[in-house]
Amino acid sequence: MMLDTLVKCLGKSVADHVEMRYHRREALTISIRDGKMDELNKGFVEGVCSRALVKGSWGFSSTTSLEEKEIVKALKDATSLARASKPKKRRFANLAEVKPAEDSYTTKMKRDPRKADQEELVRLVKDTDANVRGFSKRIVSDSVVFAVIDDDLAFASSEGARITQRIVRCTGRVMATAREKGNLTSAYESIGEQSGLEVLEKTPLIEIGKVAAERADKLVSAPVAPGGVFPVILENKIVGLLAHEAVGHCSEADLVYGGSFLAGKVGKKVASNIVTLVDDGRYSGGLGTMKYDDEGVPTEKTVVIEKGVVKGFLHSRETALEFKVHATGNARAWNFEFDPIIRMRNTYIETGDQSIEELAEGIKEGYFLKGGLGGQADFTGEFMFGTQEAVKIKNGRLGESLRGVTISGNAFEVLKNVNAIGKDFIMRAGMCGKEQINYVGMGGPSLRTKVMLGGVTK
Amino acid sequence: MSLQASTPLAVKTCEKLGADEAEAYAQRTRTVEVVLERAEIQSERVKVQQGIGIRLVKKKGLGFAFSSDLSKASVETTCRNALSLARTAIPNPDWVSFPAAEKLPKTPTGTFDESVAALSGNDVLKLAMRAFDAAKKQDKRAEIDDGKFSAIASEIAVSNSHGIEATQKGTLLEGFLVCIAKEKGEVSSMAFEYDISRSMKFSPESIGKSAAEKAAASLRPKTTESFVGQLVLDADTASTILLYPLLSSVNADNVQRRRSLWADKLGEKVAVPPLNVTDDGLLSNGIGSSIFDAEGVPRQKTPVLTKGVLKGFLHNSFTANKEKRKSSGNASRENYNTLPVVFASNLIVEPGKKKLDEIVSLVDKGIIMRRFSGNVRTDSGEFSGIAKQAGYIEKGEIKYPLKETMISGNAFNALMNIVAIGRETRPTFMNSYVPPILIDKVNIVSK
Repeated sequence: MMLDTLVKCLGKSVADHVEMRYHRREALTISIRDGKMDELNKGFVEGVCSRALVKGSWGFSSTTSLEEKEIVKALKDATSLARASKPKKRRFANLAEVKPAEDSYTTKMKRDPRKADQEELVRLVKDTDANVRGFSKRIVSDSVVFAVIDDDLAFASSEGARITQRIVRCTGRVMATAREKGNLTSAYESIGEQSGLEVLEKTPLIEIGKVAAERADKLVSAPVAPGGVFPVILENKIVGLLAHEAVGHCSEADLVYGGSFLAGKVGKKVASNIVTLVDDGRYSGGLGTMKYDDEGVPTEKTVVIEKGVVKGFLHSRETALEFKVHATGNARAWNFEFDPIIRMRNTYIETGDQSIEELAEGIKEGYFLKGGLGGQADFTGEFMFGTQEAVKIKNGRLGESLRGVTISGNAFEVLKNVNAIGKDFIMRAGMCGKEQINYVGMGGPSLRTKVMLGGVTK
Repeated sequence: MSLQASTPLAVKTCEKLGADEAEAYAQRTRTVEVVLERAEIQSERVKVQQGIGIRLVKKKGLGFAFSSDLSKASVETTCRNALSLARTAIPNPDWVSFPAAEKLPKTPTGTFDESVAALSGNDVLKLAMRAFDAAKKQDKRAEIDDGKFSAIASEIAVSNSHGIEATQKGTLLEGFLVCIAKEKGEVSSMAFEYDISRSMKFSPESIGKSAAEKAAASLRPKTTESFVGQLVLDADTASTILLYPLLSSVNADNVQRRRSLWADKLGEKVAVPPLNVTDDGLLSNGIGSSIFDAEGVPRQKTPVLTKGVLKGFLHNSFTANKEKRKSSGNASRENYNTLPVVFASNLIVEPGKKKLDEIVSLVDKGIIMRRFSGNVRTDSGEFSGIAKQAGYIEKGEIKYPLKETMISGNAFNALMNIVAIGRETRPTFMNSYVPPILIDKVNIVSK
């Protein structure tokens, strides 16, 4: 048991506070491109890290060796780094009280993907690939990937926390490329959950393959959407990007501390009355779900905006003390090579009650935006993310499809302009990059608002 | 085990297990990094990553297994895993073989600097503080939002069943700062500046100075009307908007998969005549220079675009074998736990003669953009996003900083609409060397 080794090594600590983490990540990846198998991979990366606090100064060190003497060396390195960098620090860390947990958590799985027949998983990818390529003669290329990621985590602290977590995630993605008369376009779809293979019962890989193929085929010769500010419906699949990029980052307490848009706004109205936004560390099946974060703090459902009013922020133990609130369990690390920083877990806008038709009814001239691409935000609240498809809306009716463009706006103007929310809530899988990447969930129902489309100038 | 001992052992073990052929790639990287956040040292890390990735082929079925444990027992287990995966894999009819050993070129100069490899956490912290102080000195309104400084030293070993057995080492020093400027309650947009080098020839002061300058210059922004006009790109934004689609289109894997719009355009004009682009894996001091690529194939110089005409594609051994030609030495791996893909070594755009302010003076109506927050569709060439650190240009002068302005266009059209190529080339994080570039007919979108 790695936890026992960590505890044994902890005994050698001379720092004021120490956290040690063990992490083994094993991944199986199956990839087929254009009908040919290009990847069948399996392997693992494992190691141990120590984070030591000496008189308010942090030090961090990691090792890929599991030998006790190397782990103790990493612990000593972290402690001496903390001491050495102390004179250069202007702000010192103190931690909010958290009851040290002794607990164990494992992802709930109906069909354990680690015990699945590999040939069966290969067949699943193969069938999806064949289906995508067979969609139409315009589909010239595709790739289908399915992966199982198995995280084995142990956490021990000098305060007495002893936690093990086993987190299993299944992800799948499809890319389809269509070509016609010198035009070319690609479409992307993905699935992902913290769960067993039952994720495929909810959304079969073959189905997302069909959505991607259909979209690439439809948009290959379509023009690009226009530029300007328009009323839009954001599809449920991309509302999570709005929740995450536009609002979520501004609510991370380290950014709030730095003066993000939400600084000083607790209790103030920043969004339309119908908007409630939460970051939930325990959302069932969420890609960002953990029972404890990487500081050993129990995760929770944290309400950021309730009916348009700011309720709170996402905290580590350090920022929680500074803001005089409780730690919310948002300190996360990508793996043992990184110290935990404040990250979102599963961020979503709560569901409403309207159908897509009802959402469209309110739009005289606008767009129904579908399919997400990469996003980013400044802490002033200005955000952007890409969309794949823009369906014209005229007098409440959906019309032709254009190629999607990147959209932008100020998050809080966009949230104030939300005037109807759909009932088609979904949670999606995402990856977020903030110094280090991490798995997150992003969710919400389709909704109606106004954004700027970075398209063609008339 | 040492890296040098681990890869031949892995290949031999795979062969004994009954592999048709095998390849092992091992890597050890020591990274010292300092992360700054809100004007503070957020963390200081020393990390050593190491591991081995083994590709094994059995009856055209390709298995790949990796491990971060380099002990003899673990290497042997990883070989057995690779064999079992190869047996499960669907045979790939396109598979020919791993590359054969060739005479390797001399080590390109300036790819390993002992003093970079020896930097301690404290040394890297000093570099970061120098950048930080330079920003403050440049402009009192400037504040550091975040930044990161890293000193990286890596060793690589590759062996395969066809006689390749090679090792090399390299160093890299990189750093960036994101600065904002605050004035009378106004917060500027975030300005980004960086430097990247294989040696200690690295200037934290210019990172700090330039980041602060850019942030302050973006205070009191205005919007403009929507129009179609000219766009001045600096090295970083030109690389993102123009070079990524270009690189994607000359990647032989995309060409063969019909995912490149240039698939049938060899020998045809795809850009304006002044544009010359070369991939040079042996460039002195080059960010992406090395003796051999991620499969052990010698690095070389490959013309990509000459006078705007498409001259060649970039290959790894898999794409080269499919066309019965030699690899151009462009196999690249992020790490030991990923498979080799085709990527640029150093993608060099030949500089022109004009300085940046001379380029600005050519613009009748347009904008200059120093940071791009948006998306680039590398296959179709569409780009769309927010123009950050942007300024409105009229009659050859930057009039005012811009806010809430988006741009959109198509990179392949833009390559045909290049008006001028600047002379100040600098390396970017995508291993390209790019000067400022002025393009025409870009959509400028505002409220």
